[in-house]
Amino acid sequence: MVENKQQWKAWLYLSPAIFLLLVFTVWPIINTLRMAFLNGYGNMAAIGGATFEFGIDNFLKVIEYKQFLQCLQNTAILCVATVPISTILALLIAVALNSIKPLQKTLQTIFFLPYVTNSIAIGMVFAAMFNIVGLKQGSNIADTWGIINNVIQFFGGEPINWINAGSSYVANMAVMVVYIVWNALPFKILILLGGLQSINKQYYDAAKVDGTPKGRVLTRITVPLLSPMLAYVIITGFIGGFKEYSSIIGIFGDKMGPADAAGRLNTMVGFVYDALARDRQGRASAAALILFAIILVVTLFNNKVIKKHVHY
Amino acid sequence: MAKNVQDVMQSRDIKKISAVQTASRFLSKFATYAFLLIMALIVLFPFYWMIISSLKTLAEYRQAVPTFWPRQLMFSNYAEAFTTAHLGDLFLNTLYVGLISTVLSLVITVLSAFAFARLEFKGKEALFGALLATMMIPGELFTITNYITVNQLGWMHTFTALIVPFLVSVFYIYLLRQNFMQIPNELYLAAKVDGTSDIKYLWKVMIPLALPTLISITILKMMGAWNSYIWPKLVANDAAHQMITNGLRNAFTDTTGQANYPVQMAAVAIVSAPLFLVFLCLRKYIMSGVSRSGIKG
Amino acid sequence: MKVVLQNLTKIFPSRDKKSGQEVIAVNDFNFEIPDGKLVGLLGPSGCGKSTTLYMICGLQKPSGGKIFFGEDDVTELSTENRGIGLVFQNYALYPHMTVKQNIMFPLQNLKGKDKLTKEEMFDRTLNAAKLVQIDELLDRKPSELSGGQQQRVAIARALVKMPRVLLLDEPLSNLDARLRLQTREEIRRIQRETGITTVFVTHDQEEAMSISDIIVVMKLGVVQQIGAPQSVYDDPKNLFVAKFLGTPPINVLEGKVSGGKIYIGDEAVLEVTNVDDQDIYIGIRPEGIEPNENGVLTCNLSSVEVMGRDSSVISTHPASLNPIVRAIINSDIRIDTSAQTIKYNIKPHKFFIFNKETEERIYYEVK
Repeated sequence: MVENKQQWKAWLYLSPAIFLLLVFTVWPIINTLRMAFLNGYGNMAAIGGATFEFGIDNFLKVIEYKQFLQCLQNTAILCVATVPISTILALLIAVALNSIKPLQKTLQTIFFLPYVTNSIAIGMVFAAMFNIVGLKQGSNIADTWGIINNVIQFFGGEPINWINAGSSYVANMAVMVVYIVWNALPFKILILLGGLQSINKQYYDAAKVDGTPKGRVLTRITVPLLSPMLAYVIITGFIGGFKEYSSIIGIFGDKMGPADAAGRLNTMVGFVYDALARDRQGRASAAALILFAIILVVTLFNNKVIKKHVHY
Repeated sequence: MAKNVQDVMQSRDIKKISAVQTASRFLSKFATYAFLLIMALIVLFPFYWMIISSLKTLAEYRQAVPTFWPRQLMFSNYAEAFTTAHLGDLFLNTLYVGLISTVLSLVITVLSAFAFARLEFKGKEALFGALLATMMIPGELFTITNYITVNQLGWMHTFTALIVPFLVSVFYIYLLRQNFMQIPNELYLAAKVDGTSDIKYLWKVMIPLALPTLISITILKMMGAWNSYIWPKLVANDAAHQMITNGLRNAFTDTTGQANYPVQMAAVAIVSAPLFLVFLCLRKYIMSGVSRSGIKG
Repeated sequence: MKVVLQNLTKIFPSRDKKSGQEVIAVNDFNFEIPDGKLVGLLGPSGCGKSTTLYMICGLQKPSGGKIFFGEDDVTELSTENRGIGLVFQNYALYPHMTVKQNIMFPLQNLKGKDKLTKEEMFDRTLNAAKLVQIDELLDRKPSELSGGQQQRVAIARALVKMPRVLLLDEPLSNLDARLRLQTREEIRRIQRETGITTVFVTHDQEEAMSISDIIVVMKLGVVQQIGAPQSVYDDPKNLFVAKFLGTPPINVLEGKVSGGKIYIGDEAVLEVTNVDDQDIYIGIRPEGIEPNENGVLTCNLSSVEVMGRDSSVISTHPASLNPIVRAIINSDIRIDTSAQTIKYNIKPHKFFIFNKETEERIYYEVK
């Protein structure tokens, strides 16, 4: 029988994938839940024969932990700041790109370039651009400022200590926002431009016949017709924002903050890894589950808001 | 009753409208290009700054008034970067991990996608649904247990730890299954009638037809190896197994203050170059792959 | 508003770069559309009718010639400054807006002193909706409407700002046969009620004939004939126009003029004056031949199709260019279908002859 033969053949073909998924995906889900609800679970201790009680101590510890609240705050600020900025910028760029003919392909390639970079490597470039170059020996007076401050001074502004020791939290966050937006643009432009190109050109002809001003075409026709793509980039933007980690490493290094304030820019994911590195798997699991819950809630909330406005 | 278009148009100066219309058309084209070019400059500036900085002497880099083209081209920065950061070893490590995981991953993905797209078996829909559901869970959640698992398997500080846990990507299986499903089932049945084996059919018919997707997966997988940082840092951060990003970051821990930036920028440029080269050659595949996946690496 | 087209020409650069062959989509089109008329641009696909329409509305720029609306030269004006209404072939209704929002959309674009209040906009929207009889559907989305209803919304949207000229691109092509009949009457009625100069494009001659005040027959970018539908039908200028108009189509046969007689095969079917001897094409309308025992044209009888009031006598003739020769007669007239042949008499005013080379009409006088 063909059917029976197909049965065992299918499972044969699927076996490597299923085996690996069981070990590295399914078991972690179960185990993470288990560890999260065993008070104070640590793997080394567990191997040493320690036993742990069932409870929600890990979650309470995580929430009480001051560092965790800082991480949550950093992550939330980064999300709320970068998602709208990058989405609006990407929309404008995509619309502009879609309206031109000469240079379109070239510009499209340029705008995609930040995507094919290593976020840690290019983070180091951004760090160099914002950095204060060469402090005078034994003093805090910079004898040169980095290129960004040079530009600010050129336009008559005061240089700012962006990322060095003694820099302010606001300045640090501003640098992160700039870098994350720069990094997030290519994907959003790609998706939105693809969406724009699939919109029937006749809608624009119809609007033109009626003398619709450009701004109104954007808000009343383009945005509604693009709303499924916009919803997609906003949701993936939020999910990505909540998992922000390596871009901060790129700019600030493992210290996750300026030299005199290590850990100030740590994020939720960073918190999970820190706990993991200290053999606090219970706490790490609890934090990861909280992160998952937050992402889930934000996504559902986004979905609900978007459903009201999205036209499919 | 308000005016309608017929009346509005009656009393107007065609010449004036014509002029305004030409001017506004020109202005809007000009504004569009100006906006795009300025944004393009902003996007490109970090790359430009990376390259010119990498070619400056430290003294020139630290000048109060920045130079926008190096006075003296210091190619020696690149040699220094290469040796300081042991980039050669890092390249080889990364290439090794990238190639092995790509090949194994492709085999597993193709077999699974074929089973889901072409074969009938009990619980197919349920299994596929369960797989898709795992895509919603953030990867960080798996990392904790996988770290323990890898540790218990004795894989710490081995390439195995870098390769095996990430061989299966549900998303790639999904992507390829969709692609396979577009290939008419009659082709498969015809091959069965001719007595062609599954593997031969896969190799001769389905893989060539799904080649663009496979290339996209390959590129994304390689880029993933190139850009991976967090997991290697946890399980294989020793000199012998270090991946390129970790090595780069570890070699230049100092990102602020007195660091030797020209050398650091040269190292970053070396690490970024292969990605750009691959991108310029395979732009089409990368962009189509990314627009469907939305996942970095 | 009268619309004048003066030497209007559109040349598309060649798509195939090697040959460099340009495509002349519209060639030297001259026409004055009188105010308040309904004009049908008619022709097979690729004849330049749609290009002409798009040039009138300003979405395509002419390569040469001028367009006037009344006394205004609008050739250089972009479409939004022309004050036209356009109904697209597939309607192009905004899918995310309700019917009401769709119709109101053009009004909301008016600015400055022309700006309308909310009430005025709503009144105008309602009036336009009533005109096309969709005022019950104002809160629906386009996807919830039938094709005919969408068509009406599109017309309402084009009419709501009271355009100077209304343009329709293949307005009926996306409707089924029954709706098509109904909608074309509707377009006629709406055009009469508003009195707006209207131009529409179609490849369906029946559609154009039935509702237009004037039809323009085009072929390969060149205007063949302009006139009232009946006069073009009765008096085609060339073989193309004769063949293009009329259902069932005109019978075309080869023939010759010799010594003042028109021959089909060996039979002299008509005696004429003032025509030189030559080979010709002959066009005879199906209603232009009638069976008669003493008829002048003999054909091989195939069958008779009775279609209610009329019947259609199908026969063949060796000189015919069509597979069949068709005669439309009153169904009261009985035909002996067992006969091998049938003889016809000819009505000279339904009988046209054309030069074999130029396919231009040759005018003759019956002796």
